[in-house]
Amino acid sequence: MEEKKETLSLDIVTPDEHLVYQEVDEVNVPGAEGDFGVLGGHTPFLTSLRPGVLTYRVAEQSHCLAVSEGFAEIVSDRVIILAQTSEDASKISKDRAESAKERATKRLDDARKGVEGIDTARAEAALARALARLRAHSQKARDPE
Amino acid sequence: MVSSAKLRKAERSLLQARPYSDKMMEVVSSLALRADSKSRPLLNPGESGRVEIVIVTGDRGLCGGFNSSVLRFAIASLDKFSGKKVDLFAVGKKARDFFKRRLEFNVRDDYVGFWREFGLRDATTLAGKLTKSYLESSLDATYLVYNEFKSALMQRVVMEQLLPIVPAEEPEDDESVVDYLYEPSEEALLDKLLKQHVEFQVYRTMLESFASEQGARMTAMEAATDNAQEMINTLTIQYHRARQASITRELIEIVSGADALAG
Repeated sequence: MEEKKETLSLDIVTPDEHLVYQEVDEVNVPGAEGDFGVLGGHTPFLTSLRPGVLTYRVAEQSHCLAVSEGFAEIVSDRVIILAQTSEDASKISKDRAESAKERATKRLDDARKGVEGIDTARAEAALARALARLRAHSQKARDPE
Repeated sequence: MVSSAKLRKAERSLLQARPYSDKMMEVVSSLALRADSKSRPLLNPGESGRVEIVIVTGDRGLCGGFNSSVLRFAIASLDKFSGKKVDLFAVGKKARDFFKRRLEFNVRDDYVGFWREFGLRDATTLAGKLTKSYLESSLDATYLVYNEFKSALMQRVVMEQLLPIVPAEEPEDDESVVDYLYEPSEEALLDKLLKQHVEFQVYRTMLESFASEQGARMTAMEAATDNAQEMINTLTIQYHRARQASITRELIEIVSGADALAG
């Protein structure tokens, strides 16, 4: 039997950039129905993503990103992440994420109070994205490299 | 220069969008080939004998042959669809105005006034309209005609099939037999993925066309500047000649006048 490949090739692309393209040892992905980890030799798998924190590890070094809605495909030790947006945790501005969260929360409150013309689905998506960015940020702060 | 700055920006966003669109195609293809594609209308042509052609132009002129070549190409391509009923969909003011004056063409709808500040949301709106009419009228196909961006100096008009989606053949086929896991279900995923794929193809088309427009405009404006400069040079020489001639004439008059007095 041939030797099993231990590493994964990871691609993270968004409409604006090709964020990550490298060999990694492990990836943790926020899937639509729960987070999951990927190591070499994973079974083929396709899922949609929910906004959350994606981490990957190269040797002893782990990296942390916030991702929003999208898809993940895993085929023969290749991981492709298609996300609407993605941001490296170290580049996330806590203040901006906080204010995005407040805006979205306020819009949802208004909608609940019966204010007209609010796209609830969009506000909920914005809130989820803001929370994901905050989580990625705090995870980074706890675990600096 | 303003136009070259705009071109650089448009080119950058296009180049950044291409990998996403390619990866999306990979994922869509691998899923479409495995899944039961017969039951997905977005993957199968309708049978109404009608096609829709989406013509993408800019809102403004002064950009060389950018708009007119798309329009010419679109009209020439109508011959290919003889026997079918062709609806047109105008994107951009130039296409809308062009067909407004020509009533022999059947323009179903248009989408204009977004180029100044366009984003993924415009693409989503447009893709929604196109998908809706494709499904409701059970069209045979929907095509996009637009300028593909090659370089700042080169644009090429192309016609691309948007719907039904044609999955790219996978090079390795022995692995596609493997059982896949899906979360959530295969159907839900495929529907979502196909919808986003169409949206993103429309977005990429917009980016291609926009970058081409900037390139064409820059080239056209540069040519105009060169021509104007040439004309200025010719006119300046003519002016100097006329001025010198008149000075020479005056001198001759003075000299001959003085000669007459002295003589």
